[in-house]
Amino acid sequence: MRFATRTFLWSFIPFAVLLMGSFWAIQKLVESTVRDRLRSSLRETHASIARVRSKSELQNSRFLRVLGENAALKAGLQLALAERNSGEARLTVEEQLREICHTLGFDLLLVSDPEGAALAGVIRAGQQLTGLDTTRMRPPQRGLWTLEGRSYQVTSIPIDQADENIGILSLGEHFDFSEFTTPAVLSRHGKVLKSSIPGIPVQEVETALEDCRQQAECEVRLRAETYLSLPLESIYFGDGYLLRSLQSVDSASGPVQAILRNVFLLAGLGALLAASILSVLTSRSIVKPIARVVSHLRESEQTGLLPEFDTKVASTQEIRELSESFNRTAAAIREARRNLYRAYVEFVESLASALDARDGYTAGHSHRVSELSCAIAKAMHIGGEELEEIRIGALLHDIGKIGIADRVLQKPGVFTPEELALIQQHPTIGRRILEGVQLFQACLPIVELHHENWDGSGYPEGLCGEATPLGARIVHVADAYDAMTTDRPYRDGRSPEEAIRVLRQYAGKQFDPAIVSVFVSLAGIVGKFPLPVNTLEHTLEPAAGTIHKLVEAVGGNETPCLPQHLEATST
Amino acid sequence: MGLAAVGAADVEGTVVLQRRLTKRSVTAPASAYQRGATVALGADANDDPLALERSHVVVYLEGQLESKPVTATMEQKNRRFLPDTLVVPVGSAVSFPNLDPIFHNVFSLSKPKAFDLGNYPKDHTRTVTFSKPGIVFVHCRLHPNMGAAIMVSPNQWSARADAAGRFVLPDVPPGSYTIVDWHKAAGFFRQTVQVAESRGATVRFVIPLDEGGLVKAVAQG
Repeated sequence: MRFATRTFLWSFIPFAVLLMGSFWAIQKLVESTVRDRLRSSLRETHASIARVRSKSELQNSRFLRVLGENAALKAGLQLALAERNSGEARLTVEEQLREICHTLGFDLLLVSDPEGAALAGVIRAGQQLTGLDTTRMRPPQRGLWTLEGRSYQVTSIPIDQADENIGILSLGEHFDFSEFTTPAVLSRHGKVLKSSIPGIPVQEVETALEDCRQQAECEVRLRAETYLSLPLESIYFGDGYLLRSLQSVDSASGPVQAILRNVFLLAGLGALLAASILSVLTSRSIVKPIARVVSHLRESEQTGLLPEFDTKVASTQEIRELSESFNRTAAAIREARRNLYRAYVEFVESLASALDARDGYTAGHSHRVSELSCAIAKAMHIGGEELEEIRIGALLHDIGKIGIADRVLQKPGVFTPEELALIQQHPTIGRRILEGVQLFQACLPIVELHHENWDGSGYPEGLCGEATPLGARIVHVADAYDAMTTDRPYRDGRSPEEAIRVLRQYAGKQFDPAIVSVFVSLAGIVGKFPLPVNTLEHTLEPAAGTIHKLVEAVGGNETPCLPQHLEATST
Repeated sequence: MGLAAVGAADVEGTVVLQRRLTKRSVTAPASAYQRGATVALGADANDDPLALERSHVVVYLEGQLESKPVTATMEQKNRRFLPDTLVVPVGSAVSFPNLDPIFHNVFSLSKPKAFDLGNYPKDHTRTVTFSKPGIVFVHCRLHPNMGAAIMVSPNQWSARADAAGRFVLPDVPPGSYTIVDWHKAAGFFRQTVQVAESRGATVRFVIPLDEGGLVKAVAQG
């Protein structure tokens, strides 16, 4: 898993979970608050209904009390009691009741004897009040009474005459279920008699209400909807009758909850989006500097260079510390490399010096050739690794002479053909000496081919023109110049001018004409710098003093013949 | 009036009522509810509204004179007493037959004669003898809106005015009398009347009302 992905997930998932959780909790809270509000408003409605109801009940009881004191009614009741089997007596009382009903607008009015057996009564049927057949009729003292298919809410009052109870007057008002604007359920001893909830059969309501304790507020699930059931205690029927209002909480709070859900969904999605964006930014802010470090390291790995980090760019302290420590390590490695290279160069130089030391006349030759070759290469705009190869190659170009006997090498005068063949073997011998050393691989062509001529008359391969590598051609010119200008046991060195004349003469034959012309153009400068003198003491310290000045004069202020990667800025 | 005293003459009179005195109440008959019919309230438009008032005026002569008891009837019909105003000389018997299909309980708490006839159904009757003069108000215990008045006059000379307000007290012996006019709402009005031998007298009662609707207790000759 990529670091960026992991960072993103670690920051996003807890954030998202927390966010969704809190939104869920808030939504639940708000929903329950809405529900509670609704419930309390329902309760208030109930309470107000109860107040109205109890008021009207009180009024009814007052009416009843007044009616109970009606002397004519008392007389009628007494008559009815006295003449139980008389239709005329019953008719008389009916008349009286009818009159009262007519005046006061009751729906049902009847009188009973003290034991509760009905004596006479009238009932409203349509616009008319008709007499009741009260045979074996026992009206309830209170409660709901179903008569002729209609429900009546009955209230009764005793009728007393001189402290003696002579009967009961019962008043009934039609209990119209439809006058309840809220859905209601009428039950008796848990059995639902009537329900005004549209579309739901009575049995279902009864089953749902089974768990509701009597007279207690409760919540009922009906067809996946939650109803709040409140007993309408004010309408007390007695006799096991109970009227409950059933208000759908869901349908009431539904729209609000839908809005809430939408709001929270939108807010949640927005928050999730914000969270993901934030997480992406976070992971990027963590990963980006690391990625930069990684790409830097990869680049170093590919190029082998160890460039510096710009520690100022790194924003966080950890990254800064990381890059600084990298920089320190890189500096240490660079230093080590530089030391190694220096040791290598010193070794090569000492090897060259060892060679030169064999013969007093050739003392300093290798160094001088190296300097001249470098100057020519600089003038030809050669730099970097190639220049360094030329420098090292030039220093070691005659290393093969180690394998040639002093007798031959230091012989004054003309060589015999056998001697010449021996001498001409020195490039090959040099190559063989250096072949085993990894560091010298690049210098091998110079060492092997620095005696090849432009026209193909050279040795050991007899290569023609540009078939000879450039470095070898340059060293060839420099070698010839130095050989001509130094003293030999058998002759004095020629002057530089003469040497240049000879070079010119052999340009195109022995030497690359282009290199010669470059060298000629350098001749003025070359003359001004005293090259290392051919004494043993001086050649042992070639790097010091004036040795580089020639090359500097040719190639500007660039330090010659050092690989660029070693010259990178140091800390 | 064959036994009329020699020289007796009629006292004739007129009652003039200037305003209605009572509200007329109509009680629906017992059967009305069953029929569901509307009950016509009030009299015909052609009726003189004061005619009913006039016919409820009772006239009699004061004084312990000769009395000739009679038998009268006051029916209960359609939950009303019929007639609702009755004049009988002292000593008369009045029967109260119940013609309604329901019970009635006729009673009175009036001083001249307090009685309670108890409940009795249709086609039953009870009789009461009124031995003291005075006004007896009759009620039904079962039907408080039933009411009637029986004027027990101290002698045989008493009468109810007719719809036109006329009345006749026949064969009054000559002499000076106080003639009394009574209306349930207006009360008593008295006048002195001189009955000459074989020559009647004419009396005129005006029952005026003051602005408050009350009868001015002023008798005019």
